[in-house]
Amino acid sequence: MSLLRVQGLFKAFAAIRAVDSVSFEVRPGEIYGLLGPNGAGKTTTISMISGLLKPDAGEVIVASTPFWSDPQKAKRIMGVVPQELAIYEELTGRENLEFWGAMAGLSSGEARSRTTELLEALTLTDRAKDAVKTYSGGMKRRINLGCALLHRPKLLLLDEPTVGIDPQARLNILEFIRNLRASGTAILYTTHYLEEAELLCQRIGIIDHGRLLAEGSLKELQDRLGGDRLFVLEAELKETSPDSWDGFRQRFRVIQKTERQLVVSAIGPRDPSECLKDLLGLPVRVENVMLKRPSLNDVFLQLTGRELRE
Amino acid sequence: MKRIRDIGHNDLRLFLKSKSAYIWLFVMPLAFVYFMGFANRGPGDPYNRKPPVLVENQDPNFLGRVFLDELDTQGMWLLNPTNRETAARTIRIPTNFTSRVLSGEQSKVGFFKRDGSAEADAALIEVRLVRALIAMNSHLLETVNQTNAPETVTEKPLRAVMKRPNPVRLNATFAGRKPVPSGFNFSLPGNLVMYLMMNLMIFGGASVAAERRNGVLRRLMVHPVTKLELVMGKIYGLMLLGAVQIIFFLVVGKFTMGVNLGANLPAVMLTLLVLGWVGSSLGVLVGSLFAAEDRVTGTCVLASLLMGALGGCWWPLEIAPPALQNLALCLPTGWALKALHQLISFGSGFGAVLLPLGVLLAFGAAANLLAARFFRS
Repeated sequence: MSLLRVQGLFKAFAAIRAVDSVSFEVRPGEIYGLLGPNGAGKTTTISMISGLLKPDAGEVIVASTPFWSDPQKAKRIMGVVPQELAIYEELTGRENLEFWGAMAGLSSGEARSRTTELLEALTLTDRAKDAVKTYSGGMKRRINLGCALLHRPKLLLLDEPTVGIDPQARLNILEFIRNLRASGTAILYTTHYLEEAELLCQRIGIIDHGRLLAEGSLKELQDRLGGDRLFVLEAELKETSPDSWDGFRQRFRVIQKTERQLVVSAIGPRDPSECLKDLLGLPVRVENVMLKRPSLNDVFLQLTGRELRE
Repeated sequence: MKRIRDIGHNDLRLFLKSKSAYIWLFVMPLAFVYFMGFANRGPGDPYNRKPPVLVENQDPNFLGRVFLDELDTQGMWLLNPTNRETAARTIRIPTNFTSRVLSGEQSKVGFFKRDGSAEADAALIEVRLVRALIAMNSHLLETVNQTNAPETVTEKPLRAVMKRPNPVRLNATFAGRKPVPSGFNFSLPGNLVMYLMMNLMIFGGASVAAERRNGVLRRLMVHPVTKLELVMGKIYGLMLLGAVQIIFFLVVGKFTMGVNLGANLPAVMLTLLVLGWVGSSLGVLVGSLFAAEDRVTGTCVLASLLMGALGGCWWPLEIAPPALQNLALCLPTGWALKALHQLISFGSGFGAVLLPLGVLLAFGAAANLLAARFFRS
């Protein structure tokens, strides 16, 4: 049974469809990644799930209860880590955690003991009495994460929790999130970092311009490209088009074409060497042909026609 | 209720962690209380004020000096010649005053009008001059009776007679109108009202705008906290901050400036707390209406200064034209000062401030409702 179910979520700001008919679900013990570029609609989706925005259409169901039928009940089940560092920089790490614990409904005693546990888990015990403004970026991100965990939420919404920190600090946070998942927490994780989604998420939804373009496990998304390998052809392609090559579209699926590069996958079960031979025989001056495993970026490329990093 | 309390206590902790808060809460208002208290200090008791008079004592002998002391005893503010411009009248004691009086001859004390002086003060001086002359004659008669030789009267026995309690005393005060509050009795309530409004509006507005900018308000709203709880928590925190400022100023006012806080301290506290509710609600409202912190701060400073000036915090409304007095009744600061002057300067009881308190409560309820209506995360 899913802990979070989103059905046909829709939100428009004037003429802009920020989120357009998005549906997905997140199960206990699962990290669901919502992957998309900046402005794709990830934060708007999280805002609707957490009750900050009311959807124009669609429904958010938390633990089998529609969110808006009892928002306070839903909020008690979930923890939300916003993209920005929404903490009190003048307060100490301990004071921040205790305050957000109280906001989550814990008694003073519960908030204090849970804060001690979390400071330990986040390896911040030594700096617990220092003002957050003296922390490094990674430490602030950890406190930002910890502030959502005081009440042990069954559902955790993480909106780009690793933005702007160094790789080591990012790895620490990803490891912490993996442990949360192992304890049975259902996690919705938005990111525009491909590697994070590949490393962390059991299922991934790719979102762009407010629409959920595809979803599934990494393997399922890779399979959409027609197998586990892609061919990258480097050549002078400015004056030519794959449509003009005899039967090419029946043998290959074009993932991307630029003036210098053509990325394709084979249609149907074909031997790679046969495909390479086929590509080298094209009526263009080929400079190089490479084989590679498809990445999420290739999936995004195929779905949107542009790279996620653009 | 617990969340309102937690939000309020957290906000108070945040306010008090800011070093600049101490300057605006305590140092600046205190400096203004002192400055305005000295600038507005009047002579003597506001119920029985001393009119300013310039005395030119040309008599080198003792009766001139004794007469000066009698004028002071009768309630005149004796100016030295460097302050002659502020005098309402001039009294001149002639050169031969002592010799003529002791020889039983009439001596003419000059009494001169000064252009542009206050008529009320001039009338007071005239009355008190007559009283001083009568007292002087009485003291001389009593001294002469002891020696039976007027020419042998000296300063010492005359002063001994003057020091004796009078068998009959007349205590006279103004009737028909209230005295004008002056000195620290005016500057303490005036500055406390203005800075209470200013600080609560600025701290409230700026903190709401800053927490909206850095996402803290949105984060609060994803917790099981209602919008009303959040607004009331913010207002409660600001009111706690206001209470800290109120207590500090009342203690400093009473024990270092000697301000008489009246017989009804709880009513003074209640008035200031209700004003604090108005200021806190207005701060949260302004913080909700404007996004940028500098616009919020600018609006709060301007609004609180205007409310302070027009409400009577800068000068006593009692000396302001009727139009300004009416305008003050449109402002919470005006009603707060009206109540505080009743309690502190005029010694009235709780019953006298029921109307101002009621109006302040209405201001508070309206501002609180508007703050809750327009609050946005």
